[in-house]
Amino acid sequence: MIRPTRTTGGVAALALALTAVAILIDNPAAALAAGSLAIFLFWRAWRFSRDFQTLAASLAIEREVDRTIIRQGTEVHVRVKVDLAVPPGMEVRVRDIPPAVAVGDAPPSLPRKTVAYTIRLMAPGKTAFGGVALEASDAYFSHNLVIRRPTTPSLRVFPVGTAETSGKKEAGVRDGEVDRRSTLEGPSVRGFRLYQVGDGPGRIDWKLSARRGTLYVRELTGLEAGAPLVAVDIPTREGSDPEVFARYSMVVCDAVEGAIESRVGCSLLVIAGGEILRFLPWTHDVRKALSTLGGLAPVEPRAPLYRAPGPAILAARARLPGREEGGEGTYIARLGGVLAAFAAESTSPFAVTVGKALDRVEASELHLYTLLNQGDTSHLLQVAHQAKIRGMQVVLLAPPGSPVAIPGVDAVEVI
Amino acid sequence: MTDRRFLLLCAGEVLVVAVGNLAAALILQVIVLGAFLDDRRGYWAFIPAAALFAAVIAASGTILLPLLALAAALGCGYLALTLQDYRLTLWAGGEA
Repeated sequence: MIRPTRTTGGVAALALALTAVAILIDNPAAALAAGSLAIFLFWRAWRFSRDFQTLAASLAIEREVDRTIIRQGTEVHVRVKVDLAVPPGMEVRVRDIPPAVAVGDAPPSLPRKTVAYTIRLMAPGKTAFGGVALEASDAYFSHNLVIRRPTTPSLRVFPVGTAETSGKKEAGVRDGEVDRRSTLEGPSVRGFRLYQVGDGPGRIDWKLSARRGTLYVRELTGLEAGAPLVAVDIPTREGSDPEVFARYSMVVCDAVEGAIESRVGCSLLVIAGGEILRFLPWTHDVRKALSTLGGLAPVEPRAPLYRAPGPAILAARARLPGREEGGEGTYIARLGGVLAAFAAESTSPFAVTVGKALDRVEASELHLYTLLNQGDTSHLLQVAHQAKIRGMQVVLLAPPGSPVAIPGVDAVEVI
Repeated sequence: MTDRRFLLLCAGEVLVVAVGNLAAALILQVIVLGAFLDDRRGYWAFIPAAALFAAVIAASGTILLPLLALAAALGCGYLALTLQDYRLTLWAGGEA
C-alpha cells in the first residue's frame, strides 16, 4: 500500500486543525480550507497511484549472469540493468532480488544504471531470480513493490561431493570451493521451496526461513545427485525426421556439456539397437565428449534384439499372469514357468557388454536419452535392467508423449 | 517540502480562513495550494472537486454535514485506491 510521507502527515494535521477551528467557530471558510486540503491529499494519492502503475508497467530488465550451470557454493557474477519510464517528480530505486537459496544481496540502483553484484548459490537444484523490488516516492507518498518477473535466467546448481566417487583428481574447480564428502550419510539438500500445509516440521529450514521472513522447507536430493552415465540411443533411419534428430543431438550435447561443467566428468555410451557404437569412460574433456557424439546419424537396424531378448525380457514375460481360466490360462502359466527356467540361463552379448561398461564407469545414475520412435525397444530394456542390477538410478529422457514404457525406469523427463 | 514552505502553507490557510467569503476563500485556496506545488501536472482535477465542496457548504448552510459527507466520500476513494493497489500487487506477484 502507498505510504504517506512527513509532508502528507503535516498537511493532514493542518486539515484536522482547520476542521476543529471550523466546528468551534462555525466558519465555512475554515471548513472549505480543511476539506480542500483533504481533497488535495486524495488527489495527490490518486496521481501517485496512477504514476506508480505506469512506472511498474514500463519495467524492463536486462539481467546477465556469467554462467547458468554452476556448482553449489561457487560465485555467480550478475549484471542487471533496469529500464523504467519515470514520471516527473518521482524518485525511483530498484533492487534486483537474487534466488531464494543465494547468499548475497544486490545493491539498490537507479533506473537505467547497470549494477554488478556477486552471489553464491548454496543449494543444488533448479532456481531462478526473485524479480525486482521497486521503490518509488514523491513529496507526499512512497510505495514499495516486489515484481516477481522476469525471473530469467534460470540457474541450475549441481551438488558438491561427487568428485571423490570417481576416485580421480578434481578438475575445473574454481573460486576456492570446497568439495568434500559429508560425514553423515543420507540425502542432501537439493533445494528449497515455500512451506505448504502438510509438510513435516522437520523439513523446515529455520535459518533460511528466518532470513526470508517466511517458512521454507528443504527438498532432499533424489535423482539429482551422483555422477551420470549418459547413454544415447541412436534411432533407426526408417521414419526418422532430420529436424527431430538434429534437435535430439543438440539436447544430448547440451546435457553432456552441462554434466561435465557442473560435475567432475561423465561417461558416454552410444547405442543403436543391439550394438554399442561408442563408449567413452570418465572424461572431463568437453571437446573429447563432443567429438564422441559428433557425426552421429540415424542408422539401419543391423542387430535387432527382439529375437534375443535376454534375461530381463524373459523374466518380465515369465511374470505375465494368466488372464483366463481354462486352456489358455494354463498355457500362459506353463510358458511362464519355462521362460523363468530359461531366464537365468539366457545370455545376451549386448547385455553383457553393457554390463561391463557400467561396471567400468561406476556411475550412480544412468541418463538414457532416446527418441523412442522405433518398434523394438528391447535394447533399452536391457540397458535399464543392467543399470538396475547395479543399483543405479535410471532416468529416461524422451520426447513428450512417448508411448513405450521401459520397466525399471525411476524417472522420465521430457526433452 | 521544507519546514519553511510548510509554514508558508499554514500562513496561507490562515489567510483563507480570514477572508470570510466562501468564493474568495476558494480562489485563494486554489492559488495557495498551486503555489505550494512544484509539479502541477493534473492540478485541474483538484479544482472542480474543491469547487464542488464549496458549493455543497454554501448550499447546505452548515459545515458539519458537508464535512461528514466529504469524509465518507474520501473513505470510499481510499477503498478504491486500496483495491487498485491490491490488483497491482497481484499483477506484480504474477497472479493476475
